[in-house]
Amino acid sequence: MGDRQIPGRLLESLKSWAVALLAVLPLLVVYLWSAGQVQEQEFRTTAQLNAFECVGSSEPCVPVWVLRPEPYMEGSLVRFRVIGTRPSGKVSREKDAKLPRWAHDLAVEAWQSRKGAVRWVSKPGHSAIRTAVFMDDTVHVGQAPVRGQYPDVPWEHLLVLFVFSLFMLLLPPRPVPVIMSFVAFFYLANGMFGYRADAEPDWIYSFSHIYEGTDTALVVVWFLTAAISLFISISYALNRFKGWCRTLKEHRIAYTYVLPAILGMGILVLVPFAFGVTLGFFNHCKGDYTFVGLRNFWEILSGGGASITNPLNFWFTLGVTLMWTFLNVLLHVSIGLGLALLLKNPLLKMRSVYRVLLILPWAMPNYITALMWKGMFQQQYGAVNILLDKLGLGGVSWFSSFWTAFTANVVTNTWLGFPFMMVVSLGALQSIPTSLYEAADVDGASSWQKFWNITLPLLRPALFPAIVMGSIWTFNMFNVIYLVSGGEPGGSTDILITEAYQWAFKRGERYGLAAAYAVLIFIILLLYSWFAQKLTEQKLD
Amino acid sequence: MSRWKTILIHGFLIFFTAMTLYPVLLVVRKSVTPGDNFERSLSPIPSRVTLDHYSEVIGSRDFNGRPLFWRIVLNSVVLSLATTLVGMFLASTSAYAFSRLRFPGRRMGLMMFLVVQMFPATLIMIPLYVILDKLGLLDSLVGLVLVYSTTAIPFCVWTLKGYFDTIPREIEEAAWIDGATRFQMFWRIVIPLSRPALAVTALFSFMTAWNEYILAETFLSRETSYTLPVMLQHYVGTHSTQWGKFAAGAVLVSIPVMALFYILQKHLVSGLTAGGVKG
Repeated sequence: MGDRQIPGRLLESLKSWAVALLAVLPLLVVYLWSAGQVQEQEFRTTAQLNAFECVGSSEPCVPVWVLRPEPYMEGSLVRFRVIGTRPSGKVSREKDAKLPRWAHDLAVEAWQSRKGAVRWVSKPGHSAIRTAVFMDDTVHVGQAPVRGQYPDVPWEHLLVLFVFSLFMLLLPPRPVPVIMSFVAFFYLANGMFGYRADAEPDWIYSFSHIYEGTDTALVVVWFLTAAISLFISISYALNRFKGWCRTLKEHRIAYTYVLPAILGMGILVLVPFAFGVTLGFFNHCKGDYTFVGLRNFWEILSGGGASITNPLNFWFTLGVTLMWTFLNVLLHVSIGLGLALLLKNPLLKMRSVYRVLLILPWAMPNYITALMWKGMFQQQYGAVNILLDKLGLGGVSWFSSFWTAFTANVVTNTWLGFPFMMVVSLGALQSIPTSLYEAADVDGASSWQKFWNITLPLLRPALFPAIVMGSIWTFNMFNVIYLVSGGEPGGSTDILITEAYQWAFKRGERYGLAAAYAVLIFIILLLYSWFAQKLTEQKLD
Repeated sequence: MSRWKTILIHGFLIFFTAMTLYPVLLVVRKSVTPGDNFERSLSPIPSRVTLDHYSEVIGSRDFNGRPLFWRIVLNSVVLSLATTLVGMFLASTSAYAFSRLRFPGRRMGLMMFLVVQMFPATLIMIPLYVILDKLGLLDSLVGLVLVYSTTAIPFCVWTLKGYFDTIPREIEEAAWIDGATRFQMFWRIVIPLSRPALAVTALFSFMTAWNEYILAETFLSRETSYTLPVMLQHYVGTHSTQWGKFAAGAVLVSIPVMALFYILQKHLVSGLTAGGVKG
């Protein structure tokens, strides 16, 4: 028995080792690639700086043309005249004709940027940096040789990795998770301390400036690799990976049915979502994105320097949003339920006529509703003000103070939203068996008692999800706020979603800040629905 | 029921119905009265009647002199129908799996469809713009169809799943014994039996596409690829306030979707609440 077990176990461990190596291999490739990229980037930066100094110094190390832009221009074209060469300093007309095309192009670039320009030339066995420097209205162009050691494969890193792997062989069976977590850590640490422009030994500084100055693509690759290896390591550790493959096979029919929807959602909702969340950690300025860590979130949560009564303050907007959601849902449910209770009675005349007319707001496109009500609240010609005038109350300038503008928004949204609650309540009411009411009648219950003890408890399972859904919709009700009050006066009636929109498209394209806002909205709603779910579970038990 | 109580109930209902109808009547009034501003009057009956606004909206032309309105109507119709078809296909298949089959990840998937509804559209807009740009689908209806159908899916999945749950499994089991495949059970039994829920979800997908304007306005830049909401929005945009044309356009845009809504509204109650009531 024992003899047969030993080769089996050996085979098993060999197999798990093969899997581990196969898993590590792509990681190594990614590592080599990214390390090479970083080193090359560093090398290029230093070489370029050297070339710049070389050409720009008063005693240049290479022959340099000195060019002056011609006084006339054709469109955006600039012409240069050679006024000298350095270091010889001799002016010669013959040089004029010999000025190569690349020197001219580079000079234009340098002149336009008012600083300088560099270009790499690489030929086998020879590479150079062509540089143009802009100094006192002249452009100095030269071709400096590349100095310094070209980056090599980081053999010592690989050696460390392999020695570590060999060392792992001595450890008991499941080596994969350990290796994977090691690699994951390695990648993260790499980004944190490995390739920073200025190496600060201060840990706190390092944490607050993680990945600063590093190429964004590299950061993404590092993060992805770390995430993937962590994922694999954890799943191995939980001994799930094989199980997953098995369940995938077992339930392939179910997965086939779900796949199209998941795929569509994945590409068009989840990927943009992940992208958007990532954007929350960046700052956008004129097409450039820079990584700023949690600074956007800090700016929002600390109020961005605005006092709590200032509409730009996050907490102010949050308060308005919560009030807006609560009031609307309250009005929707009470009006909807009230009408449903009246319409429930099958003996009521013209019941279906009322029902058909009352769901009209639901059928109307809601942007039309919003614009229509904006017209109704218009100061001079709006129906609301005319009515107030006729009643002798005098017109109100609806959008010039917070409470009136807020009221206008709430009225619009109430008009828009009560039919949904009415229809849901009607459906739920119809499903309550009449025998319950008959039994209550026999016992001599009042109609209030019947409502409180029969109708409400039986309504809850249908009404509760509708309320949760409705409050999420109201929380994100962009159209009404944006089209009716537009945040007037002074952005005070903006809710979180319109505030985010304002930051992205109205106040200087701060995409990063807007994305951070959106992430916060998402977190709030997630907490809310989680809480609501806990509440229903308790109620149902 | 006492006489007074009946009168009270009717009075109450009439009041609410009037409140509901009045703003709509004002828009209709505006659409047939000349001029671009509202007049100072509360009566929903117009003092003078003209169809100028309608003929202006319908007769609008693009830069090349081709009829613009019908082009835009065609865009919206194609967009909404395609969204409905794609959305219904995606939602019904996955809702069926969620309702009938037990598989690992089912709970998580359902949760995901719930959570996805909380993503604010503004968060998704910028990345979507980039993605559609990369795919070359910007300024095209195909891109919008994909976006709309995926945003409509979560609601459709939940509604359909709730309804599928109420259909007794015994019917399918009988079919299984008679040798039906999984797909036949889905296509021949469950789908025909859940007509109300399908009608409701189709209606919502259609309305999503027909009524949406923020994404459409952001993604579409050529006048000939506009949808109806974008066109309407431009009548009362930042640069012009042509309330007359807006009102006429609003009436024209609302009529088809309201007709559809009223045709399908008898399914609304059963389709929407079947899942919830059961619990």
